[in-house]
Amino acid sequence: MGRRSHSPRFIKGGIVMKLSAMSPLKLKEAKLGMKLVTPTVLLIALLIIYPVLYNIYLSFFEVSISPTESNVFIGLQNYKNILTDPTFWISFWKTIAFTVITVVGSIILGLGVAILLNKEFPGRGLVRGLLLLPYVTPLIAIVFAWKYVLLPIDGPLVRLLASVNIMDPGTDIINNPNNSFLVVSFFNIWRNFPFIYLMMLSRLQSIPSDYYEAAEMDGATGWQKFWNITLPELYFVIGSVALLRGIWNFYKFDEVYLLSKFAGTLPIYIYEKAFAGLPEQGVAASIATLLFVFMIVLIGVYVKKVLKW
Amino acid sequence: MVKKKSFIRSFIFWSLIVLVILFVTYPFLYMISVSFRYDTDAFEPGLIPERPTFDTYLQLLGFKQSIREELSDEDEQLKNLVKNMPEEQQKEVLAKIGAQRKKESFPFIRFFRNSLVLAGLSAFFSLLISIFGAYAFSRLWFPGKSTVQRSVLIVYLFGGTILAVPLYQIFVNAGLTGSGMRGSVSLFVIYIVQTLPVSLYMLGNYFRTIPETIEEAAIIDGSSRLGVIWRIIIPLSMPAIVTVYIYAFMIAWNEFLFASIFIRPYPQFHTLPIGLNEIFYSEHAIWAKMMAASVLTAIPVVSLFMMMQKYLTGGLTAGGVKE
Repeated sequence: MGRRSHSPRFIKGGIVMKLSAMSPLKLKEAKLGMKLVTPTVLLIALLIIYPVLYNIYLSFFEVSISPTESNVFIGLQNYKNILTDPTFWISFWKTIAFTVITVVGSIILGLGVAILLNKEFPGRGLVRGLLLLPYVTPLIAIVFAWKYVLLPIDGPLVRLLASVNIMDPGTDIINNPNNSFLVVSFFNIWRNFPFIYLMMLSRLQSIPSDYYEAAEMDGATGWQKFWNITLPELYFVIGSVALLRGIWNFYKFDEVYLLSKFAGTLPIYIYEKAFAGLPEQGVAASIATLLFVFMIVLIGVYVKKVLKW
Repeated sequence: MVKKKSFIRSFIFWSLIVLVILFVTYPFLYMISVSFRYDTDAFEPGLIPERPTFDTYLQLLGFKQSIREELSDEDEQLKNLVKNMPEEQQKEVLAKIGAQRKKESFPFIRFFRNSLVLAGLSAFFSLLISIFGAYAFSRLWFPGKSTVQRSVLIVYLFGGTILAVPLYQIFVNAGLTGSGMRGSVSLFVIYIVQTLPVSLYMLGNYFRTIPETIEEAAIIDGSSRLGVIWRIIIPLSMPAIVTVYIYAFMIAWNEFLFASIFIRPYPQFHTLPIGLNEIFYSEHAIWAKMMAASVLTAIPVVSLFMMMQKYLTGGLTAGGVKE
């Protein structure tokens, strides 16, 4: 008596048809199901779907800051302003670079660490626990620690790097718009590689060991085994993780902004347009709309070409 | 020959392990070390504090006044100072000084309490709503089910950045801005929605692993569906429920963007991320206090995670937890 097996029968026709064609018990269950998801549906419709549409609507207006004044319709003016604004384009390319650097960097690091830990050794449990620290520690707590070690002159990491002549101890690498972008990328990789390492490790552990044994019998080297067995087996995990991290990092605000306000990626650009100085929320809405459309197209192509769904 | 090779191998292996551990723990070592120093010693080189102290912790937790307050007999002096003033003026001056002092103090406990209430409550309601939702997804058929399930997943595509402006406008129009209390209510609702997709996804996956025959037996015995959820599903899913609660709690505990939009002007309602960030930019040379505050902010979440590590990492890889 699988309940799910009944659903195909009701695919044709409207909802009323479906419900009236059901037995009293099924009808009762369907009604209960609808009741149980009502809060979820309401919340997501009101606070996710509607805002996304409302955002597109707002992007055609000059949005007033005070609730007493109404918004003024200005057509495509916001879009024209943005697309001709060089700051927008700089931010846009910075965001793309940030996303690519952090996704590639954290995948390489996460994969490397996963392969390293994919064997038994004394103390493995402890190492695994420690590895999760960057990812699970509250952002605000760990941001201050990084700010401290990177302080000019007094910061321990800056002292260390200066002592081996990598950098000048006086440079404020966090608050310098030229460097902060790289510091923020590094921080993002450091914070998020444990997430990727976890996903990779659980996939690695499910690769049957006879694959490797067979390859060894044929005389394969470690490198060959990695290219011909490990990587192909990990293809879909890497693809999916890259997609998730790509989406999240493209929109990433807090990890960037809390470490450095000067990193200049688009989410920060939106935030400052919308909530700092003289707010231009219509402009912010149109940037958000552009980002959103760009993202949807990119995800669509990616899912088709890379994940082959 | 073979022995030598395996020695080199294990040497490389262990050096890599040490390197990874150092890389991961580096900022934490300084965070902990500096938190046990006086603010004035924050930049002495080396990892082991020369004059270790619990002072910053005691001050943050309200067991001890700051050195400035302690050393000076400020209160006495103040009373003497205003004694000769007319009554009304006295009050005004004292209030002014009081306000100034409040500004200078470090209301860590208040931030902590606000965060705890907001994250605790929103995670609880998110959990409650998603238990019902996930049950409907995994066990019942109803019209429009697959559409609803898909649209829950689409939420993954919308970062907070996209939603910030429209949500702000919506809450302004709904009258849910303009005071700290109203701002906090807005945050409460937003945090529920932000954590809902993860909770639904993880719980739904878990519920599907519970055999339906157990429920069918209970239903034949006359139990209602709600009774089944309460007496069978919830007790059997306790590990998943705790996991989901901790995740939802962590998301709300970390949240900065919406907090800065809705409650920045109201210090009484600041949560930890927004409160600590504001203090960081308004005060100087309080590194020891910032680090102690960081340690105290991290402890609840990290210790919860370490205790539940087995379940939590399982949930993490299964759900692709949303950020």
